[in-house]
Amino acid sequence: MSVPTSTIELAGVGKRYGRKRALDDVDLAFDRGVTGLLGPNGAGKTTLLRIVATSIAADSGQVRLLGLDPHGSHADVTAVRRELGYLPQELGYPSDMTAFGFVEYVAVLKEWNDRERRVQEVRRVLDLVDLTDQATTRVSRLSGGQRRRVGLAQALLGDPRLVVLDEPTTGLDPAQRADLRRTLSALGHRSTVLLSTHQTEDVAALCERVVVLAGGTVRFDGAVTDLVGTAMGRVWLADEPGEDALVSWRTGTGRHHVVGGTPPAGADPAEPTLEDAYLLMLGPDARRLGAPA
Amino acid sequence: MSSLSVPASGIAGHRAMAGIEARRMARHPMFRLGVVLGFLVLTIFLALNSDESVPVVLTLPLLGAFYIGLTSVIAAARLTRSTEVAVEAVATAPGTEARRTVALAAAGIPPFLAGLVFSLAVVVVAQVRGVAAQEWWFGTLPDWQVWSIVLLCPAACLGGALLGVLTGRWLRFPGASAVVVVALIVVSLLGQIPLLETASSEWRLWVPWAIFHTGDNPDGTQTLIAGNPAAYLGYLLALGALAVLGAMWHDRSARTPRFRAVIAAVAATAFVLLALAVTTGPHDNQVSDPNPSRVTS
Repeated sequence: MSVPTSTIELAGVGKRYGRKRALDDVDLAFDRGVTGLLGPNGAGKTTLLRIVATSIAADSGQVRLLGLDPHGSHADVTAVRRELGYLPQELGYPSDMTAFGFVEYVAVLKEWNDRERRVQEVRRVLDLVDLTDQATTRVSRLSGGQRRRVGLAQALLGDPRLVVLDEPTTGLDPAQRADLRRTLSALGHRSTVLLSTHQTEDVAALCERVVVLAGGTVRFDGAVTDLVGTAMGRVWLADEPGEDALVSWRTGTGRHHVVGGTPPAGADPAEPTLEDAYLLMLGPDARRLGAPA
Repeated sequence: MSSLSVPASGIAGHRAMAGIEARRMARHPMFRLGVVLGFLVLTIFLALNSDESVPVVLTLPLLGAFYIGLTSVIAAARLTRSTEVAVEAVATAPGTEARRTVALAAAGIPPFLAGLVFSLAVVVVAQVRGVAAQEWWFGTLPDWQVWSIVLLCPAACLGGALLGVLTGRWLRFPGASAVVVVALIVVSLLGQIPLLETASSEWRLWVPWAIFHTGDNPDGTQTLIAGNPAAYLGYLLALGALAVLGAMWHDRSARTPRFRAVIAAVAATAFVLLALAVTTGPHDNQVSDPNPSRVTS
């Protein structure tokens, strides 16, 4: 009897860029569902996603995707890539291609060889990201958010078992983000979806699980509610900013949202958000490295 | 498993990718500019000489090779580079870079067809309007020799596009394709002009764009330059194949022993065809009878 394996398995994975350590001894496993990767800039999120997307190889450790070695035989790499949808952090587009043309080009690379079925599939994913009306527009003439959705559309081709999205909500307006959440949530029922974002509210709204990375290491790995729970009793609404607070800001009501430190006089306990928990998790790094939006 | 089954890779996939690249080339502004210029210049030339039979007819395919072939170098290089901006998404699809390169070779189809139409247009116009009895053409040359020279135009147009694919894969600096075009012209001119009027003129045929006809000489004669144009046509096609293989070589995963053997075989074929072009066919330049209407001195 074979041992059941996770869709994504990373064991002791490390990656360096020259002298900079991007990932250090990372152990993670992912299965069906949507997982959010949070972390400040330079935390190693994109490196981790690129390794999972077979774009780069780890320097050390073991990576198994769908039970296969993504940098083993050509057959294994191809087998993994047949089940992979990947949206890179920065994706350029050929200037002469329309939205439909670009997604169709990727569809051909993904071996949608039958023209009728390919066209049907391209239309389906363009519809999923609400780009049907712009299908025949050149990508170079689309807005930033629309281009991002073209990138998303190509990643969703064929409902892949493994979906890797690097900052998918960048440039999307609230309605588009809500649509995307609905799409990814449905996809998460049958696929392993791994996404990185700076938008903690997206993770709170969409992901069952969250991984916080900082300095190339895993700071937290667990349920979103568990991460929020770590901030319980450490967030207040007060009339004054906390003197030793990790962060505090004046809200629209005129009161201060105080995260961490000691509660100011007259402070009322507040319900923590995922962002509060994330900031507390990172501690002083959150301010030094840049907090999520 | 995915809810939607993904068809396996096959010839249909190659054909689909090739179709996309051929259509992109056909729509490329630089290629279209070359086609328009080529036919425009041909039309102007024929209009300016409308009161007589078609002159120097065997040199006319050079116009198509120049305008369509050279612009195809630039267009194909740009097409090749253009998809690299999406390389992270494209490279994590099952299709390899070598496979994408093979598909890009199909971008040579529109230039080939444009060059073929150009050459056939020359033949048709020459048939309709006639050519002078002294011209190097059907009747004064064996048919195979005329057809070989005429078909150098589509071969050069195809070769230009394939050279563009090679350029796009390997040269990353801005203006690389323009530099390659200039280099191609310089090499072709410097490699053959000093030899044209010598007893060793057939040795010019190593260049990728050799001429077989000098046009009008001042005394009204025309010189047909030595060498076997049919073998040279084969040599050009072999160079085009080498350009595609060289572009595929950019993909490290493609560098298998079998692939090296294919490159060696095509290179050997090119060498043999060059040797045949040099050693067979007319060994000496041939001068036509003078055409009194073309005397300029």
